[in-house]
Amino acid sequence: MKGVTKAVALIILGLTVFIPFASTYPDGLEKVAESLGIEEPEPVWSGLMPDYTIHTIENPYIAKLISGLIGLVLVFSVAWGIGWATARENHD
Amino acid sequence: MWQKDINISNTFFPISVTKPNRDGVKRMHIPDGFLDPYLCVLTYIISLVSLMWAWRGVRRTFSRSLVPVIAVSSAFVFVGQMLNFPIVYGTSGHLVGGTFLAMLLGPHAAVISMSIVLLIQAIFFADGGISTFGANIFNMAVMGGLSFYIVKLLSGYTSSPKRLSASVFTASWFSIVLGALACAIQIGVSPMFTSAGGVMVTVPAMLFWHIIIGIGEAAITTTLVSQLSRISPAVLSGLTMLRGIAYERRY
Repeated sequence: MKGVTKAVALIILGLTVFIPFASTYPDGLEKVAESLGIEEPEPVWSGLMPDYTIHTIENPYIAKLISGLIGLVLVFSVAWGIGWATARENHD
Repeated sequence: MWQKDINISNTFFPISVTKPNRDGVKRMHIPDGFLDPYLCVLTYIISLVSLMWAWRGVRRTFSRSLVPVIAVSSAFVFVGQMLNFPIVYGTSGHLVGGTFLAMLLGPHAAVISMSIVLLIQAIFFADGGISTFGANIFNMAVMGGLSFYIVKLLSGYTSSPKRLSASVFTASWFSIVLGALACAIQIGVSPMFTSAGGVMVTVPAMLFWHIIIGIGEAAITTTLVSQLSRISPAVLSGLTMLRGIAYERRY
């Protein structure tokens, strides 16, 4: 359990440190679509935190950090739950 | 920034330098509307079959002691995918992490773990469409899981750290390039991209960028795996699985 806390702390530290350095340039697929003149259609579902931002938060760093932390907690708990449900009790 | 001064034209596709275009960032995930509806259905079916394969594999091999590992590594991959690294000509790439997950969890659990990440991204962050969810699972989760077998093929069950690193490097590069190729074919045959030239244009364009992005992915994955195998090798169950197979074969 100690290892888990340490690893999660490291991930959060990494997120906090690297957000300002993350590139906002379009990625491979976006670049291809863009260079071919293809507009991304209006999404069917725009999510609760589209583009990893929260609209009510002005500061882009804080918005991205908080949405990242929410995502981290969600992914962590869902993966834990599914992992727990699938794993065998005494299987090693 | 130096990127703004570069302008390169290519016969296949125009590369012009763009300024950062959004406040936020998006990933290589295919958004809604890019794919033909039939293709959406087809990729959903393929991905469901792959998920069933992964689920069966996990039920057979996954132990409770691995539960924290799948939770932490999925969270790591989620955060890693948020942080784009710049490549050339005003384009960015980001870690996908399929091979990393495969080395930590083995191929089956890696597919499940990546699918969880993609699901949360699609539902909460609109990163990757709902209709294109099947395609995204195939291009990232399934390709990542399959890269386990590339490592297996190349490493030849060796215990040499150098050869293992080279295998992980190659496998993670392939996981990106093959995923991008699949993505290029999927968008290329869809009506949205027909007027732009279809597969003849999307395949070289996607490969061009992802051959470069793949190097970033491979460098990060190899560093992570070799550091982990030094610090706490017990965590790398995927690697243990590789060696386990080797052990069974030999004796």
